[in-house]
Amino acid sequence: MNKKSWFSILFVMMFIFSAFLAGCSYEKPASNNTGSAGSDDGDAGAARDEIKVGLDVDAGTMDPRLSKDTSAKRVSELVYDGLIRLSANLEPEPGLAEKWESPDPTTWVFTLREDVTFHDGEPFTAEDVKYTFDSLIDPDFQAPYASLYEPIKSVEVVDDYQVKFTLKEPSAPLLSYLDIGIVPKHIGEKNDNTLSNNPIGTGPYKMVKWDKNSKISFEANDKYWGGSPKTNKLTYFIIPDNSTRVASLESGDIDIVHSPLSPQDIKRIKENDQFEVIETEGLGFTYLNFNQKHPILSDLKVRQAIAHLVNKEIISSDIYQGMDTPGKSPLIPASWAYDESISGFSYDPAKAAALFKEAGWEDSDGDSILDKDGEKLKITLSTHSEDPNRMQAVEYLQNEFTKNGVETEVKTSEWPTFSTGLTEGNFDIALVGWLNLVDPDRSFYNPFHTNGGSNYGKYSNATVDELIEKGRTTLEQAERKSFYQEAAKIVTEEVAYDVLLYQGYIAMYNKNLKGFTEHPAGSFYGLKDAEITN
Amino acid sequence: MELSKQYQTENQTGTLPKKGFDFKDFFQLITQSKSVLIGGAFVLVVVICAIFAPVISTHDPYEMNMSERLLTPMEDGHILGTDQYGRDLFSRIIYGARVSLEVGLVSVVLAMVIGVTLGLVSGYYGGWVDTLIMRVVDIFLSFPVLLLAIALVAALGPGIENVILALGFVYWTNYARIVRANVLAIKEEEYIQAAKTIGSNDFRIIFLNILPNCLAPIVVVATLGLGTAIVSEATLSFLGLGIQPPESSWGWTLAFGMKFIREAPHLSVYPGLAIMFTVLGFNLLGDGIRDLTDSKLKRN
Amino acid sequence: MATFIVKRFFQFIPVLLGISILVFFLLHLIPGDPALTLLGQDATKEDLERLRNVLGLNEPLYIQLMVFLKNLFQGDLGISIFQDTPVITLISTHLPATLELAVVAMIIALLIAIPLGIISAVKQFSWLDYGSMFFAQIGVSMPVFWMGLLLIIGFSVNLNILPSFGRGEPLLDAFVQTIQTGNLFYLVDSLQHIILPAFTLGVMSAALITRMVRSAMLEVLKEDYIRTAEAKGVRGIVVIMKHAFRNALIPVVTIVGLQFGNLLGGAIVTETVFAWPGIGRLVITAISQRDFPVVQGCVLMIALIFALINLIVDILYAIINPKIQQG
Repeated sequence: MNKKSWFSILFVMMFIFSAFLAGCSYEKPASNNTGSAGSDDGDAGAARDEIKVGLDVDAGTMDPRLSKDTSAKRVSELVYDGLIRLSANLEPEPGLAEKWESPDPTTWVFTLREDVTFHDGEPFTAEDVKYTFDSLIDPDFQAPYASLYEPIKSVEVVDDYQVKFTLKEPSAPLLSYLDIGIVPKHIGEKNDNTLSNNPIGTGPYKMVKWDKNSKISFEANDKYWGGSPKTNKLTYFIIPDNSTRVASLESGDIDIVHSPLSPQDIKRIKENDQFEVIETEGLGFTYLNFNQKHPILSDLKVRQAIAHLVNKEIISSDIYQGMDTPGKSPLIPASWAYDESISGFSYDPAKAAALFKEAGWEDSDGDSILDKDGEKLKITLSTHSEDPNRMQAVEYLQNEFTKNGVETEVKTSEWPTFSTGLTEGNFDIALVGWLNLVDPDRSFYNPFHTNGGSNYGKYSNATVDELIEKGRTTLEQAERKSFYQEAAKIVTEEVAYDVLLYQGYIAMYNKNLKGFTEHPAGSFYGLKDAEITN
Repeated sequence: MELSKQYQTENQTGTLPKKGFDFKDFFQLITQSKSVLIGGAFVLVVVICAIFAPVISTHDPYEMNMSERLLTPMEDGHILGTDQYGRDLFSRIIYGARVSLEVGLVSVVLAMVIGVTLGLVSGYYGGWVDTLIMRVVDIFLSFPVLLLAIALVAALGPGIENVILALGFVYWTNYARIVRANVLAIKEEEYIQAAKTIGSNDFRIIFLNILPNCLAPIVVVATLGLGTAIVSEATLSFLGLGIQPPESSWGWTLAFGMKFIREAPHLSVYPGLAIMFTVLGFNLLGDGIRDLTDSKLKRN
Repeated sequence: MATFIVKRFFQFIPVLLGISILVFFLLHLIPGDPALTLLGQDATKEDLERLRNVLGLNEPLYIQLMVFLKNLFQGDLGISIFQDTPVITLISTHLPATLELAVVAMIIALLIAIPLGIISAVKQFSWLDYGSMFFAQIGVSMPVFWMGLLLIIGFSVNLNILPSFGRGEPLLDAFVQTIQTGNLFYLVDSLQHIILPAFTLGVMSAALITRMVRSAMLEVLKEDYIRTAEAKGVRGIVVIMKHAFRNALIPVVTIVGLQFGNLLGGAIVTETVFAWPGIGRLVITAISQRDFPVVQGCVLMIALIFALINLIVDILYAIINPKIQQG
């Protein structure tokens, strides 16, 4: 073909194409099935029957038994129901179980709702409950949180709507963990990963489409036992960058975002009267983990001195812009076990210098770094690079420590590298955090018990071990409270952890989103009663 | 070898005249190219900043002062304002020139040493050595090298040395290809053959007769490579794989400044401009030198 | 041509094998345990050990490599550790988004580069020439993520005329929908989503292509037949477009092909900034999770596309300039 005719064909095609485009209309489809977050600020008239949510990461798997990331949790809160639901102050409330009783400390009997069906129309029964928990405690099933359900010895079906849990030993925290979504036995049994990609639950929303790394679309479950949700469509958009996610909220592409957020964005949004910002106490804390086996840090006085060099107020007010508040002990303010009287270590360089001196560390060679027996006081401060706030805190602390005679090296790596270092005990001081502390047992047994699974710093204290064990097996809350408060006092005094910050939970949403109630755990269950108004 | 054929088209650097490198001639030419002049001026400014950083900077770049954080430019004697720790941004950018140039220079030299050596060996000896080396080049060219750099830094751990190592290790292929092409073009020339017959050893021939003739294209690739390295370092920082505090390159400052882009845009605008200015300088310089060597080739 | 393609294909096999092995060892050099990342901080040692066994991570490295290569030869890329989905499925859902982005970016790059390149060649050594080249250079001198965020702030937040993240309907689907319904909304919505990331990505390549167009044009403009055409009285734009530019296309096609590969590399960062659900983001996430099968699969797929592009470039080369027939 010669070039000339080639060009003419191209030209004619372009002409036809533009003529065609000229004949087209431009209007937003009545039911916007594209589900895309366009800059559609121009919808006048009826309010949009869709809520758009911005999330930071995509879900890994949607099977609630296997999920461990928060996004999967945000999905299962809407798609599934647990036997119980945790209230805003972490007390168990009825979910799929109408009521429960404990005839003896190792037995729990749950009476289930009879009016519940799964999204595929199958009725929900005690068999589903048994199946869910049987698989959770089955070692071959590889459930990430299997250890939480470890006290369960067996689950028996009493009748269609009654189920009996038998425990190995009394376990106080277990009830708080029974909010995990109940999966349908008839689908789960097939063992074909269906639930990982196409969750079928009993919850207020059904998942209709999952575009990996992009968006997750839901539709209201009209037959929901708790009443049909106010808004028909719900979409989670995955926007990894904190700043971009907030920018999308500002441009109206999404309606609601929540933690993790950049502190500086929160301040700006607060000043904008188009948006609502809710700050509540979260369920986590950020702490410095001291490696008790480190040759220098094994000295309690050195640990205490370093704790005195940590200015939690500055970190909270400047780096976190008040989003997270200065921490005191491993008991979080949102918990019923919180003890205000444990105050931790105040920022006091003079006291720190005195303690260093008591421990034998002095600057004998005039290089402004402390030393002892010819050895320099040198430590490495590590954290993970995914969290910019922690990175900043570490850089700030490096400056403070060095200024006060502790030569500090900073090591920030990606989470997998960092967490491997932690579990191998390959760190000096690590800045890290705990999330989802629905029960104090979560922040004591594994982190501080001599045999605790995540006792990275190899902390060991017989008294503390005993207190933690008692806390786990005693059912009376007032008693448990005193055990945990005693343990918290000891681990704080001995600087196993220096709890830096209590994490706040923040949600920011457009004011035309009405009826949303927040939850310290960040639950989106409250979205079922929310709607977009004009 | 189809791949390498294309690359020759891509880098039309050609070869220099036979006998060595005439520097007097070269500098005469430089003054004729606006690209070289402008690019060279940009680079010179950056180099001066790096060398005289202690003189030029107004504050201690490491001194934190939390009560003065995020000041806007010209506030309280801070020319470009302060960062999230109240450190003087102007002084940090001036000192950052040292780190960024260090990353650029050392990684480029590393890449150059690897690439030029392999290119010389490959072109001069030919045969299976050539095939092997060019296959390795193909492997490196068959997927985004940035990905390789990311994996390398992840493997080696963060820190300036590892960033340099990673960048040097992934960006050597350009040198190898160009040097090889030049060697192939000149190794059959009379004077090389003559050197061979009088019994010069390979080492002498390669380094005394062949290498000098490849200098111009190497200089071009290296100059352009400096820009690439500086931008790549910034990208690694953005992905959380950068250097470690308190050290601070422009890329690191920029990547972190972007977290404050809304309330303190100066934190990302100025380091970004510093990178752009420097990279632009290197690119103009490199392109200018390339044009000069090309036109000189044509005149001959 | 057929033998040429077959030959090229066989040449590529050792390269692919080399990439697989390189990536395999590199990934296993990176510290970090997928089992730990998957199970999280609460996992017990026994749980971790059990999962490592299931994933085959406790086998000696060479056995793991053998297993990987064996599966590869059977066309099996494995299953994602984190998403519990076959890698090939993940790639097939993410790759179209990246290709779409790269194609649109390339179109934008050409729209910038060809006029700039032609103008600067025709007006060589004028301020127009220097201006064009300078402008093109600025694009390549800015870190991609910086430009991306500046564009988001400018166009999405301040002007609020473009969406700040994500992808609309796939362009082709949107186009079909528009044709079917006669409603431009679908097409416009998709285009609005792609324009910022594509521009960010395209500007990078525009600089090099501009340079190439300029120097190719300069070569051609010196040729005799152009002078002849001019002498015959054919002038201005006609000569430039009809004679000069057409002949300058050959080197341009080459660099466009090579740049396309670069675009895939640039997409890694661009997709992260704009939350574009492509293969670049997939692979970055997979690296940070130590999801080895996904990283391996993505890298191989990208390498395959590179090879394919090179092949297409070679074929185009032969078509545009039949004089250079290759064996």
